Amino acid sequence: MNSSNRKIQEITGNLRLIWKEPLLFISILAIFYCLIVFVVFPIFQVFKTSLFIDKQLNFSNYSAIFSKRYYYQPFFNSMLLGIYTATLGTIIGFIFAYALTRTPMPFKNFFRVTATFPIISPPFVVALSAILLFGRAGSLNPFLTKIIGDYTIYGLGGLILVETIAYAPTAFLVLYGILQAIDPSLEEASMDLGASRAKVFSTITLPLSTPGIASAWLLVFIQSLADFGNPMVISGNYRVLSVQAYLQITGMYDLSRGSTLAILLFIPTIVAFFLQKYWVSRKSYVTVTGKPTGATIKQLEWYIKLPVYSCCIIFTAIVFLFYGTIVHGSFQTLWGVNPALTLKHYVEMYQVGKDYLIDSLVLSAVATPIAGIIGIFISFLVIRKKFIGRGVMEFISMLTFAVPGTVVGIGYILAFNQKTVLLPFIMTGTAWIIIILLVFRNMPVGIRAGIAALQQIDPSIEEASTDLGADSNTTFRRITLPMIAPAFFSGLAYNFVKAMTCISAIIFVVSGKWNLITVAILGFVDNSRYAQAAAMSNLLIIIVLIALGIIQLIVNRIGRGVRTVDIIG
Amino acid sequence: MKRLTLVLLLVMVMVCSVLATGLAASKVLRMYTAFDTEEAKYYIEVFEKETGIDVEWVRMSSGEVAARMEAESANPQASVWHAGSNTDHINAAKKGLLEPYKPNIDFELPESFHAKDWAWTGFYTGAIGFVSNINFLKEHKVEAPTSWSQLLNPAFKKNVAIAYPYTSGTSYTTYATLIQMIGLEKTLNWWEELDKQSIFQYTKSGTGCIPMVGLGEIAVGIAFSHDILAKGINEGYPVVMTFPSEGTGYEVGGLSLIKGGPEPELGKQFIDWCFTKQAQDLFQKYSRLPINPKATVAEGAVTLDQVKLIEYDAIWAGEHKDELVTAWRDRIGQ
Repeated sequence: MNSSNRKIQEITGNLRLIWKEPLLFISILAIFYCLIVFVVFPIFQVFKTSLFIDKQLNFSNYSAIFSKRYYYQPFFNSMLLGIYTATLGTIIGFIFAYALTRTPMPFKNFFRVTATFPIISPPFVVALSAILLFGRAGSLNPFLTKIIGDYTIYGLGGLILVETIAYAPTAFLVLYGILQAIDPSLEEASMDLGASRAKVFSTITLPLSTPGIASAWLLVFIQSLADFGNPMVISGNYRVLSVQAYLQITGMYDLSRGSTLAILLFIPTIVAFFLQKYWVSRKSYVTVTGKPTGATIKQLEWYIKLPVYSCCIIFTAIVFLFYGTIVHGSFQTLWGVNPALTLKHYVEMYQVGKDYLIDSLVLSAVATPIAGIIGIFISFLVIRKKFIGRGVMEFISMLTFAVPGTVVGIGYILAFNQKTVLLPFIMTGTAWIIIILLVFRNMPVGIRAGIAALQQIDPSIEEASTDLGADSNTTFRRITLPMIAPAFFSGLAYNFVKAMTCISAIIFVVSGKWNLITVAILGFVDNSRYAQAAAMSNLLIIIVLIALGIIQLIVNRIGRGVRTVDIIG
Repeated sequence: MKRLTLVLLLVMVMVCSVLATGLAASKVLRMYTAFDTEEAKYYIEVFEKETGIDVEWVRMSSGEVAARMEAESANPQASVWHAGSNTDHINAAKKGLLEPYKPNIDFELPESFHAKDWAWTGFYTGAIGFVSNINFLKEHKVEAPTSWSQLLNPAFKKNVAIAYPYTSGTSYTTYATLIQMIGLEKTLNWWEELDKQSIFQYTKSGTGCIPMVGLGEIAVGIAFSHDILAKGINEGYPVVMTFPSEGTGYEVGGLSLIKGGPEPELGKQFIDWCFTKQAQDLFQKYSRLPINPKATVAEGAVTLDQVKLIEYDAIWAGEHKDELVTAWRDRIGQ
């Protein structure tokens, strides 16, 4: 009786909302429409295409995939690669996080910046660098061949190397946050009571950070499965799913089997995402003491410092080596043949690459604010408003973050190369499909940033505004928005970086008219024009750094009590 | 607040400008090209300059063009399909996606270079050849391969690359050539041997192996002669080009009018232009062999009468692509 009454009240409340705040109601509907058309529909299309042939339900794609080795082998290859990368990446990430939070290591800021640097570079730059260094014609090859004999960088080993470098920073960021949140006084107490270092670590530090470790592992696993740029460049004959799905579609124009491969990639990723989001992240053992933490870091014994420090130094040195190689390679006349230094690739890049760069900049510049605004608006709705379907809205909007780019890209060409009831015009080949893809793919970060910021702001401030007669529109504009502006701009920064450096989904929707710099770089790599590719990558990294700098300046100017927004996971 | 309005305004302006560039064009030639962006741009810009016609073009692989045309067949968005191996044009013609058009040319075109009903016309060509690294050959004291069987020479162990036949027209033409020469079973046997012994890795694009040879990552690659010239020799890589003595296949680049496309007159004008001496002379830059006998052949280019060609049946190859590729994958497992 009571509960049904409440239900009725809720529904009438909802109806009253329509009456009282039509604008809000319309925006909710509009956002649902966008999410369904641009997030759910493309993924649905991938499923449908894999299951229907000539409009008939047909499982032949699946039976082919499970019976032919060249289809199912890539699945196991991807999984194996993901497991290796996630494990190594998490170990390195943990050591870094431990060193930065629990040891008196000097130059902490320097190490932190280097450790996160790979995040802002295009994903395949590391692979490119690995070829320049370790390829058969690579600069370190003669030296290495003498030591370890014949080896090849193309294949599983090379992929593990480059993906670990590219994704260990993700693990680091997650674990850094977790270790910072665990009060060191617990460890100190244990030490004071006479426990050995090893005992403290194994009974306090490690158990408390286990959820963080699991979370980091799963996130790196997801990123490795979804990675397209690195395998495209360096996988050799080690075939992984993301690349195979792409080749099946662009090489053979076999959309239905390509979609089936994409589904095969989709399933483990989404499982990992669910585990991370709904299981691991709920088991957080963050310790709250209510007291400011002393953060007194005691001197450590050499046998702890030595391995931890050297691991950090080696990883940092590797990051420097890889990116330095890119810089060096970009000045060589004909990479691998004529090492004379030249500026000609930068000149050539200005002539050939200018258009790509402008396209990339224009599209990212359009997509970034849209993604930012929609993202902040969704986070506002989810946190502050009560309406039917709120949980669904949050779930769908986070979905694009988990789905591998290859799946999204395939979904977009399937969904938007024809007119449908949902969208009565063709989008393929236009700038719109790229912009929309960028918006919905990068939006979850803005949403997370917004949610985090909103949860810190007491709703009573907004209520006061409403009580004084402002409608929700005004309250949102005048009260909420200014307070979450810093989160908004941090979200923007990340969105822009991702838009400028993305490749996996976007490669399906670019056209001659609208092309992107990352696709152009991949084209150069494919033709082994490494110097040009390196020059373009450098330029891209510089532009991204400048953009980040500008956004940081804005955040600093308007920032009041800003905290850096956790941009990963 | 003001700042926010400004940001919103800025977004609006940007959105509108993107929209405007998309809608502006009125009477333009719209086409799909399968050349690399850089190369397509080179030809199309000359055409635009000479005729004053605006061209709006999209670059895609031939497979993508074919699928895009099929998807749009009710309402075609482009009127010309520029370049791409004729294998794919043949396939599209079979599906009735092409409008026969006999280009206005003043020279004789061999029969194998155009469809019987002129649904597609070849406008450049080039033979399959081998590209070898000179330094490797010297160091290992071997000659550059001059026959298919020499690719199995132990000297080239794990030192040969070619593209996947299912992702590259170059590789598929090679595969179809061998089948037409010695039959499917023997071809697969040979390839299995090649895969085990000599193949270092398969590349995604047909030209991918050329710079690999140039860099010394591998010793020998298999590619089209014009690509070997343009992307290997002319780039300054220490490579040499040879051809198999048993005979080799060749590519014919296709050009066709899309059925029901907008502004077909402009499309026809473009096709005619592609066969003029001026247009065909442009192929020198990318070392493709022109079809027009009056056009200048790029320096160092190997014309078809200089190598032993087989009677390559592109139509047969185009029609049997799916099953042949599946047979290859089943056997080689890649």
